[in-house]
Amino acid sequence: MEQTIDVFAQLLVSGLLAGLLFALVAVGLTLVYGVMDVVNFAHGEFLMLAMYAAFGLALLGLQPLVALPLVVIAMFFFGIVVYRLFIRRLLAGPPEATVFGTFGLLVLLQGLAQALFTSDFFSIPNRPFAQTLHFGSVSVGAAAIVEGIGALVLTGALFAFVEYTETGRALRAVSEDRIAATLMGIDVGRMNAVAFGIGAACVGAAGTLLMLSYPVYPRVGADFALTAFVVVALGGFGSVQGALVGALLVGVLEVFGGFYLAPEIKMVPVYLAYLVVVLVRPQGLLGRR
Amino acid sequence: MKTIARDRNVLTLIGLLVIGVFAAFGVRDVVVLDLLFTLLIYAVLGQSWNWISGYGGNISFGHAIFFGCGAYAAAIATARFGISPWFAFPLGAAVAAVLALAVGYPTFALRGHYFSIATIAVGALVETFVKTQPYLGRANGFELPIANGFAALQFTEKWPYVLLALALFAIAQAATIGLERSRLGYYLRALRANYGAAASVGIDERRWKLIAFAGSAVLASAAGVLYAQYTLFVDPSSTLALPISIDIALVGVVGGIGTVWGPPVGALVYVFLAKAVALKLGGAGKGYDLVIYGALIVAIAAVRPSGIVGAAIEALRRRRAVREAGG
Repeated sequence: MEQTIDVFAQLLVSGLLAGLLFALVAVGLTLVYGVMDVVNFAHGEFLMLAMYAAFGLALLGLQPLVALPLVVIAMFFFGIVVYRLFIRRLLAGPPEATVFGTFGLLVLLQGLAQALFTSDFFSIPNRPFAQTLHFGSVSVGAAAIVEGIGALVLTGALFAFVEYTETGRALRAVSEDRIAATLMGIDVGRMNAVAFGIGAACVGAAGTLLMLSYPVYPRVGADFALTAFVVVALGGFGSVQGALVGALLVGVLEVFGGFYLAPEIKMVPVYLAYLVVVLVRPQGLLGRR
Repeated sequence: MKTIARDRNVLTLIGLLVIGVFAAFGVRDVVVLDLLFTLLIYAVLGQSWNWISGYGGNISFGHAIFFGCGAYAAAIATARFGISPWFAFPLGAAVAAVLALAVGYPTFALRGHYFSIATIAVGALVETFVKTQPYLGRANGFELPIANGFAALQFTEKWPYVLLALALFAIAQAATIGLERSRLGYYLRALRANYGAAASVGIDERRWKLIAFAGSAVLASAAGVLYAQYTLFVDPSSTLALPISIDIALVGVVGGIGTVWGPPVGALVYVFLAKAVALKLGGAGKGYDLVIYGALIVAIAAVRPSGIVGAAIEALRRRRAVREAGG
């Protein structure tokens, strides 16, 4: 019995730490959706790009925590460029265009990564935080703790930004009512670009942190993106707090699924959770309809 | 009111079928026949995608699972049950339709992205399921037993396969021409053009989209049966995995969503590109194919979301309008 509780505590801690990182990926997605009504299907591929960038910087001697601000800034501008060159055009077309357009971007970026870097897995050399810490019966990798806390701090920072700054208020105004926001003198096009940049910056940070414990390869974004879609649906599309709650739930579900079912089907409970939420409570746990 | 016989779509279809039949009997080059078969199968798959994603406006990223239903139905019928693969048509269709209803029922009442995400999730679920089942050959797949003749749906030569694919293509095109003239077609168009207005006159979105999606799944499954009988082998990566779903969406988007002739044109572009990539760049797996397909989808979405045929129709309308205004 005690052993069962130990295993349970171990899985719960691992799941929550993983969930914190999922939250950082998902808030970027949900912010973009809230502001401009676009689900960026290439969100996971942005994560992949950030991971390759962090890997390259690590080869130059910059460890992830040092490289983090660089990658975040670079991804922010990358997001703005993608918005200005591409997403803005999609918004002018029929609603399906944003769906298959961002999906096309996913295919393109994945292909580019495969063509340039091959399908091999790359991990950063001399990983920092490689030791395992023990808290009673629970053992956690130091890297997972750094990732979890880093992601929590950054998600909190984003929340504070959206809640308390002038730009954040403008973003919220656009997501609540685009026309009213325009009438109040808010430049909606600029807010769209900022939101898309922030969305990319979020995965910039998440991808860099992730390199502490995970290898990068061309399809790495696919799994994380799918998890992020489920998280966002679970929490409610457009809700930042919902994304955090949803992410913790999904993190726990995935870790428990991997342990009690089988590692190769750890995503099955996550996808089933998506279908159940969509059927029973489509607005998500904390979302508005 | 145009009569059926004078409909330009019907005349085009009849013309293509005549050419196709002559090609199937006249061409003896197996490489050309193989290309023709692939072209027809992808045209059917693109048309199947077009029903729900073009006319319905709900983009599917998991369409390969319906193709897989048919392919695995054929393989199971022959290799496991030892019955004629003709039974695979209703068997695969039933499974495909049930899957379509399971994806569509919860999501059709919601905004479009819920459906698209669900198709990715269910696609991944189906792939995981097949890969863990020894009965379904796991990730390695399994072979269909060798047989011969019409009842066994197997032939030593390629031309009968081309004829069968041509027949399926004819059914798909005729059904699409019918769809455009039917109540279902009008309702789907109304829902896409103005959801609020359509709903306010009592068009039940979920009901009509479920019908379109189930039909779409059945059509893709039929293509899967023919494909498995042609290759005599099924495995997840060649029938139901995400890359196949990407190919199908590419065919639909490039040709032009919501048009009768978009999917065949898209299939033509796709088959040409796939061959060119395989010949010039060393095949799939290196990412070049994805770069080209992705760039093509991105370009079409940004520049002309109505696709090649959509652009052609718009150009024709504009010319006619100019002529009428001028004359």
